[in-house]
Amino acid sequence: MIKKIILLFLAFYQRFLTLFSYGSCRFYPTCSQYSIQQFETNSLFKAIYFTILRILKCNQLFNGGIDYPKVKLNLHNIQYKKIDVKYWYIPDGNNQYLIIKNWNYKNEKKH
Amino acid sequence: MKKNTDLTKQDSQKRIFIAMLLSFVFFIGYDYLYIQPQQEVYEKQQASAQVLDTTKSTQNSAPQSSTNKLSPNNAVAPTVILDSSEIVTTITTKKNIIKIDSFGRIAQVTLLDKQYIDENGDKIKLFAVDQLRPLEVRFSNRDINNEAFKVNVVSSSSKLDARLKIQTLTLTQTMSNTTLVKTLKFYPDGHYDINIKATNGVEFFVTPGFRPNVIADVYADHGALLKMNDGTLTIVEDEDLDKTVHFNGIKFASAFDRYYATILYNFNRSLEVSLMPNNNESPQIFIHAKDSINLSGYVGPKSHKELEALNKELTDTIEYGWFTFLAKPMFLLLQFMHDYIGNWGWTIVLVTVLIKLVLYPLSYKGMVSMNKLKELAPKVKEIQEKYKHDKQKSGAKMMEFYKREEVNPMGGCLPMLLQIPVFFSIYRVLLNSIELKGSEWILWINDLASMDPYYVLPILMGITMYLQQLITPNQMQDELQKKLFQFLPVIFTFFFLWFPAGLTLYWFINNLFTIGQQYYVNTLFTKAKIVRHEEHLNHKHNTKD
Repeated sequence: MIKKIILLFLAFYQRFLTLFSYGSCRFYPTCSQYSIQQFETNSLFKAIYFTILRILKCNQLFNGGIDYPKVKLNLHNIQYKKIDVKYWYIPDGNNQYLIIKNWNYKNEKKH
Repeated sequence: MKKNTDLTKQDSQKRIFIAMLLSFVFFIGYDYLYIQPQQEVYEKQQASAQVLDTTKSTQNSAPQSSTNKLSPNNAVAPTVILDSSEIVTTITTKKNIIKIDSFGRIAQVTLLDKQYIDENGDKIKLFAVDQLRPLEVRFSNRDINNEAFKVNVVSSSSKLDARLKIQTLTLTQTMSNTTLVKTLKFYPDGHYDINIKATNGVEFFVTPGFRPNVIADVYADHGALLKMNDGTLTIVEDEDLDKTVHFNGIKFASAFDRYYATILYNFNRSLEVSLMPNNNESPQIFIHAKDSINLSGYVGPKSHKELEALNKELTDTIEYGWFTFLAKPMFLLLQFMHDYIGNWGWTIVLVTVLIKLVLYPLSYKGMVSMNKLKELAPKVKEIQEKYKHDKQKSGAKMMEFYKREEVNPMGGCLPMLLQIPVFFSIYRVLLNSIELKGSEWILWINDLASMDPYYVLPILMGITMYLQQLITPNQMQDELQKKLFQFLPVIFTFFFLWFPAGLTLYWFINNLFTIGQQYYVNTLFTKAKIVRHEEHLNHKHNTKD
């Protein structure tokens, strides 16, 4: 519920407010995109924590650059069926996974 | 793929256009449909209040007492006709003129300091004629209550001059079952102490009165404020109270509009308070008492220094909405500077510079990095060409490139987000602080808290914003977004037209300094480039020899 509200707000921000803040973010993916991915894949409090951390790092004292969201999870319950991939979970050791968005996820649906 | 990018381009163009249109419509609509009608209603109320003056009736029932179960509902409403001829005592202090009426209430307070004048140039009178007055006493016993609004008080003096020394006034109201005695001490600074005694152990209530009615509009809160013993504040806004509510452990109770308040306090003894709605569901404060109660009172502007002089905790009556936690430190900083400078306009300028200085290491680093990038421009172009049909990939490659070269042209989200609270706290301070009301800067700016009458500052702000964009190297890839970005100063100018002049001043000075910094960094870089070029030539020359 709270996650949904936050995600709605982030979607609104990306749609309408990024013009005012255009060209601010020092990272890829941008802070707002990073935050969306955190809220979609991580638990609420962890997502809030990592989002705040990311925004705090997004200033001239840090180099910026590529910084994918990272989540810790135990993958099991493997299902053998055709799925639509939204995020690729790239193993990064220690049960940690980098989250990389599949940019064709929505486009494929359109066609 | 090509088609796809064109589509998204058109799509985003449409979206941005719609966003802009929506925001224009919203602000214009908000102004016409909400703020203006509110103001009209307010003006009408003011007008009708004037009419009511002569033929007015007030409901005078005591709030339900939590301790007295004998009188759960005092539905009886005696009619009281208030007339200016019923003034029994007039007290003059350094700050105000206080008039006491024949029921022992403060009928009106007129402020004497020269900055407190209304638009007609008349001295400000704080209270509306048809509302509950400060120091009105109501009884939980219905019979006594009815009698109290029939028996006039006897005043110990009809005129008091408290401009130089403390003056004492005794108001005695003798009724069949009890005698009510109010002993007031008026101080030269305009505040008062009061002791109220009722014989025969009757229970009664005393009020600081309904809030002052000078400026109560949609821009700032108005209503009642209670400070609890645990330091928290309870604020009940006007038209927000549907039934009587009781509170225990109160330090002070204040009824306030945007700039003025009437307060009753006693920091030695915690108070029991009831908030009772009036006909408009606006809160009326009643302090519970039995036999005798000691209180102190303040009626006047919510001026930080005046309140602080009485008791530091009273400064909590100045509240800036939910943003108080940042707006208050901002005000204190501004006031601190103002003590040395003496002009609020220049104070804002100086605070702006101060904030810029604090953030200077950050912005300097950012600017240097941005200029470094200028030299790498050909490589950037190369990447953009290579991935021009895939925006996402191009973005990712750019970031990879920035990291490798250890440059980053972006300012970052944090500095951008930090601007918002600073901006908003200055806005709240300008709206809510009586100190900044009617404060001058230079030339035509005679009130920093209201809009620039000739639109000069907003236009200057727009121009500096445009110049700032011009002088800052930007890495925007999308042509459309580039155009819209250049259009931003126009939008900002438009919005700033109606903002308080002080806020526009802050933004204008902020822009000026950003331009200055950028210009400085730019020249540093051209110099460095020339030196390097010469060295290069020398080197060539030497190797030739």
